[in-house]
Amino acid sequence: MQNKLSFNQSSVSLEITGLPDYSNNENKDQISIISQWKLTIIDKPLIEGKFEHLGPIMDAFYIYSNILIKNEIPIYESKLIDIKADDLHIHNIVLKSSKPNVKPLILNIGNSLLSDIINCFDQLNESSKVRIKIDNLSTNIPKKERYGFSNKFNFFNFIMPSFISICSLILCSSAFIYFYDHSEYKEKNELLNSK
Amino acid sequence: MLPNKVTIWKLRNNNPLRKSYVNNNIKLDEFEALIKITSEMSRYLYPYIRELLKSREDIENNSVIWNDFNNRLIELIKERFNVDSMRVKKLLSQTENDEIILKSLLTLSLCISNLGYIKLKNLLLKF
Repeated sequence: MQNKLSFNQSSVSLEITGLPDYSNNENKDQISIISQWKLTIIDKPLIEGKFEHLGPIMDAFYIYSNILIKNEIPIYESKLIDIKADDLHIHNIVLKSSKPNVKPLILNIGNSLLSDIINCFDQLNESSKVRIKIDNLSTNIPKKERYGFSNKFNFFNFIMPSFISICSLILCSSAFIYFYDHSEYKEKNELLNSK
Repeated sequence: MLPNKVTIWKLRNNNPLRKSYVNNNIKLDEFEALIKITSEMSRYLYPYIRELLKSREDIENNSVIWNDFNNRLIELIKERFNVDSMRVKKLLSQTENDEIILKSLLTLSLCISNLGYIKLKNLLLKF
């Protein structure tokens, strides 16, 4: 018997179907092995697929929304999905089937539906009942910035300036070897002493 | 971190666009606390934010909610912000403020999950 979990946000619903990983002694209601997912948007055709399609589609929406907010040209293209903005308010989505001779599915959604979809994906990411390997799914938060300021400290950046300064000091001081003649200095000293 | 409303009101004065701008050097903890409040407020106001976004998709038939919001926002900006500043003038300009307001609303609508404050913080740091 497969488990089903739904994540809802206003006009969008994301349904995940799968099984727990019994080899890890997981609870019966857990989902770790996703067999199918369905994204239902009111008044739009149903979007569904296998687990391997979920990651790229979530990535596409997260990357596209980030581009949209950052004032860059909002366009995302991949083998599975293309998203581009018709204008500031309407986004054109082309879903390409992995099966041959199946026409791509074209959807036009507004900002309200875009935010509903991303909020459903956020709920899935944050759910304790669905375990998805982080390698398969990248969130819209880059790893470097995931922990904000605390991650700004970089050991390499901290050690490099002092290392470079020590190296430059050694380099400069070694140049004085060519200007300084110890025997000449000794002779001069002897002359002064004799005077 | 923020024991009462007065502390939040004082922190608002760190905004250089405000008439009452005071540079108090906001602390990291205070910055994070404000981000969390903003994310919580966005979650609470999500149905309204969503309606505003939706109204812009069909402005000819659904302009009332957007116009009401825009008029109130402009009123508040005139009342509290330094209108001599070029950036504030841009916010007041009907032709230029549309995109700024829309993107601000979209940003808020994308940061309503339990960990939405982390997303909001990262978006602000990249801004």
